[in-house]
Amino acid sequence: MAEEQKKLKFCINDHRDVLVEILKRLDARSLGVAACVCRLWCSITRNDALWEHLCFRHVSPPPSGVRTVVVALGGYKRLYMVCVKPVLSRLAGAKIGSDGRGTGGGGNGGDSDLTRRVWRRHGAQMSLSLLCVDCYERLGGRLGDASASSLMFLCEPVNF
Amino acid sequence: MLRPSRSLTRYLPSFPLAQHLLLHCLYRKLLPIMGPYDSGAMTASSSSPGTSPSNFDGLLAGAGYIWRSSDLQKVAQRLECLENVVVTSPSDVSHLAVDGVIHHNPSVEASWVDSLLSELIPLVPGSESCSAAAFSDPHSAGGSSSPCSSLNPAAVIATCTDQSTNQHQHQSQQPLTVVCTDAEEDSGIRLVHALMTCAGLVQRGDLSLAGSLVEEMKALLTRINTGRGIGKVAGHFVDALGRRLYQRVRVSVTGVGFEHEILYHHFYEACPYLKFAHFTANQAILEAFHGHDCVHVIDLSLMQGLQWPPLIQALALRPGGPPLIKITGVGPPSQDGRDSLKEIGLKLADLARSINVRFSFQGIVAFRLEDVKPWMLQVSRNEALAVNSIMQLHRLLWSGSSLDLVLGWIRNFNPNILTIVEQEANHNQSQFSDRFTEALHYYSTLFDSLEACHLQPHKALAEMFVQREISNIVCCEGSARVERHEPLRKWRARLVDAGFRPLNLGSDVFKQASMLLTLFSAEGFSVEEDEGCLTLGWHSRPLIAASAWQAELQGNSQV
Repeated sequence: MAEEQKKLKFCINDHRDVLVEILKRLDARSLGVAACVCRLWCSITRNDALWEHLCFRHVSPPPSGVRTVVVALGGYKRLYMVCVKPVLSRLAGAKIGSDGRGTGGGGNGGDSDLTRRVWRRHGAQMSLSLLCVDCYERLGGRLGDASASSLMFLCEPVNF
Repeated sequence: MLRPSRSLTRYLPSFPLAQHLLLHCLYRKLLPIMGPYDSGAMTASSSSPGTSPSNFDGLLAGAGYIWRSSDLQKVAQRLECLENVVVTSPSDVSHLAVDGVIHHNPSVEASWVDSLLSELIPLVPGSESCSAAAFSDPHSAGGSSSPCSSLNPAAVIATCTDQSTNQHQHQSQQPLTVVCTDAEEDSGIRLVHALMTCAGLVQRGDLSLAGSLVEEMKALLTRINTGRGIGKVAGHFVDALGRRLYQRVRVSVTGVGFEHEILYHHFYEACPYLKFAHFTANQAILEAFHGHDCVHVIDLSLMQGLQWPPLIQALALRPGGPPLIKITGVGPPSQDGRDSLKEIGLKLADLARSINVRFSFQGIVAFRLEDVKPWMLQVSRNEALAVNSIMQLHRLLWSGSSLDLVLGWIRNFNPNILTIVEQEANHNQSQFSDRFTEALHYYSTLFDSLEACHLQPHKALAEMFVQREISNIVCCEGSARVERHEPLRKWRARLVDAGFRPLNLGSDVFKQASMLLTLFSAEGFSVEEDEGCLTLGWHSRPLIAASAWQAELQGNSQV
């Protein structure tokens, strides 16, 4: 009886740090779903730190000192949604290391993991650069449209 | 690819018609389809449809060559086979080079080509099947029912399965590509034909005949789809030719001003060439600035400064912290009274401040690059200097001294790196028809690659940007013609003469460029390395080349 009472008393929402640790391991779509559960979960998923983990999860070693820069340029969530996600999905789709289009990397299975990680690091750096251009364009100017037009090409459907 | 046909023209007699025929080979994509070319009444003017029963090629007749169209095909076929053999031949065939022979009679030409063929074929092992590279049509891969691709040499199919160029044999083969409607392709080829002829006439000074040819071409244009492919490119060139012939006052499209900046911005977004230029140069500059605490970048054409935010960000994140960054931007005076350089400087400073980088900016207003004086740039001794030129140096080529002047003061600064990005094309030849031909090839490849972009309004405005370049090359002369593109090998020679030595761009730069390409949805782009320089091209025709340089060390290295 005591055990059952103990069980009933446990609620994940009381253990916020555990909750954060769990949510940190989700992918972007699941995070979006999780945000709809309750207000607490919503506020946690809005926290930029979660998105930071998502952006650089596969990058080894994670780039240092990036946080201030990314926050200044628009935040991790924007970085992920606008840059990292399309970059990673393009990389996953493109046959990394095996197509002749100037990859320069080895094609055999042993290297592919390393190649993928190297590409992800370069991809992370490229995402940062693109985010920077995006932020610069949104600073407004006399060219009118404040929308991030230079990143529109990432929204294009890709045919592989 | 373009290179094989160039090698072939070296060996052909110096006769413009041979070049026409080569184009005829190249742009008729499928040998078995002889029908439309044969049966169509080959009149040049659409107003008199039935007036050439003798089947003479009307367009060439206008230029003074009386050839039957059927003869044209035979010679074209043979030339095609010859081209294959020359390309695949392992040994040097330069002994076959002929100079100064002029053939007027097609049968003579054909037999000459036959004799060449019979000489060459024993040289090539296994040439009984002088098989070719059959490239699939890039547009058919796209799926839509597209009209014939523009002048994309990579789409050449040349199949000679054996030494006999018997057309019936070819007809039994399976067609290799999807081809557009016969009439349209026919018109397209004739348009190209007419363009080349017209360029030759303009060069010879026969302006009245050229003018009438322009009218005929405009009529031809109404019959083909000018929305894409060869129609679009040809349309621009026909317009430009018309302007060259008829406009009294040559409006010099020099490529400065507010409009130009907008079009440049859209060109930046529609296709990867400028992004490639910026990212490649930035990576090279980043590597050159390694270990320096005070860095200075001189941008010979600031535009909207889109190149610099990623560099500032990369410097902010480098191990050891960001240096003090100084950017000097050169730009033309703005026409509406605003200080555009200062605005861009403020934007850059805003960005730099938000990521905690010490930054300063100065703007140099100069209508032409040769007007910039070195003292204006305020280069100090204890800073690392990078000079960056994105498609600017070719504008100085109209006068030999301008380029020397600018390269001279760059060299005197002894920069850590000089990054140069230029169009990979030969549009500065002395003969107008050579320039025209080269431009036709280059811009049709470029337009091909633009087809892959679907973002409006970027695509339409990017095309306007390119169309202005075409106008400048075709219409203008002298100091008004600023688009004097030269290929990488010529730039190498010039820079070495001016006292620079090349820097290898390195594997990181290459990887980054390849990474950039994977982000673009079109599959035709390719990055290649060319002796330490990088080129970005469409279907292995390089269109833009990036290189890095340093001042050559001298005995008394005084700055």
